[in-house]
Amino acid sequence: MIAGGAAIALLRATGARAQQPAALVPGKDRLIVRSPRPINLETRLGDLTAYHTPDDVFFVRNNYDAAPIAPAQWSMKIEGEVDNPRVLRLDDLQKLSMFTQDVTLECAGNGRSFHKPRASGIQWENGAVGNAAWKGVRLADVLRLARPRPTGRHVAFDGLDRPPTPQAPDFIRSVPIWKALEPHTMIALEMNGKPLPHLHGGPARAIVPGFVGSASVKWLERIIVLADEFDGFYMKSNYTAPRADNDKEIYSLQSLEVKSVIVGPTEGAKLPAGRTTVWGWAWSGEGELTGIDVSTDGGQSWSPGTFTGRWDRYSWRKWEAEWDARPGAHTMMARASDSLGRIQPTSRTFNRLGYRWNVIHAVKVDVA
Amino acid sequence: MWRSLRPAALLALTAGMALGLRLALASAQNTPIPQTPGWELVMRCVICHSVEVAVQQRFGPRGWSDTLDRMIKYGAPIPPEDKETLLVYLLRHYRDPAGR
Repeated sequence: MIAGGAAIALLRATGARAQQPAALVPGKDRLIVRSPRPINLETRLGDLTAYHTPDDVFFVRNNYDAAPIAPAQWSMKIEGEVDNPRVLRLDDLQKLSMFTQDVTLECAGNGRSFHKPRASGIQWENGAVGNAAWKGVRLADVLRLARPRPTGRHVAFDGLDRPPTPQAPDFIRSVPIWKALEPHTMIALEMNGKPLPHLHGGPARAIVPGFVGSASVKWLERIIVLADEFDGFYMKSNYTAPRADNDKEIYSLQSLEVKSVIVGPTEGAKLPAGRTTVWGWAWSGEGELTGIDVSTDGGQSWSPGTFTGRWDRYSWRKWEAEWDARPGAHTMMARASDSLGRIQPTSRTFNRLGYRWNVIHAVKVDVA
Repeated sequence: MWRSLRPAALLALTAGMALGLRLALASAQNTPIPQTPGWELVMRCVICHSVEVAVQQRFGPRGWSDTLDRMIKYGAPIPPEDKETLLVYLLRHYRDPAGR
């Protein structure tokens, strides 16, 4: 069985690409393929031009792939520390109060490729981030149907993605109950005004705003209310980092870091002398952005930039700064700060799995 | 189950390689891998994930050895005598001199 499976897997992996050499996934051909299997696709920074990242350029991060499931076939269990275990279908969720919010998702390993020495994992540059309008129901409303017990202090999400062997760990992540019940935490059914695409977790996924992207488990099939943090590989080993106050201990990642990227001008751009606008996006997980500083001389001097345009509690914010560009080579930098007292650093201590990369983004340009 | 069928999987892999290896390499055409001794062992990794997942990593001896041990624990069909060959191959081409 496995023998045949192995050969079929080889042929499947190759056949699909032989027919479609240019695009691994139809409609996602502008993305950088970090891995075809499982599918991991990175957005080019230059494509992050809109406040809402369109589906066709939104990054994809999978630990394992999942087979598509028809919305009519989909159901989800709620079990564990609850008095009323439930199996819910899509129409059960659609009876609950729906809301829409803009949330920025960022992979915990975004920027991993910049760590020295090389850290373990998909070698993302800056483009494992995107901002979308998510429509769905509050997780708190869904949990209430199952009547969680007071002993329930964590909520785990399990999706339809499965590891390729029985020995490999299932991808299950948990969040503390305070975050599960927080009114922004949701089960999303739509993305940017359309039913949630399969690659982004459709028919239904968790959206845990402000937390690292892995908390927002896709293709939900089971929610487990637990007394303790889920005891599995993706909580206790992966998605962990050394504690700042004691690097012998590790913790499971929760909030995203405060971070910003420069979208314009792009790396290596050749600009005419004169006034130009430097701009990009900033976000800060559980914090709220309080400032953005911009440097055009490689960090020797900084001037405040301006936040502009629409934003939501857990979305990124557009920032911009005017610059009177003089001829020569210049290094642009942006540095965001937030309400938790965090500010983007100039370096990041190496961690084996390459997380928490929010080092100040620098872009080199030439002005003629 | 996987563990008990491992010899069968290895057999199949060998047989499947004749059929599938050229195609598998073609699938990795954007990420060609050097054909020095041990290169064919990398094809055992692609049972579970694409070759790109492996060859974008850079580790030192301990890092690669730990990674292979973890993959073997998860069911990768790499017996001890092949692990060493694969380790030498990976360190030859995908080593980070500063890595552990």
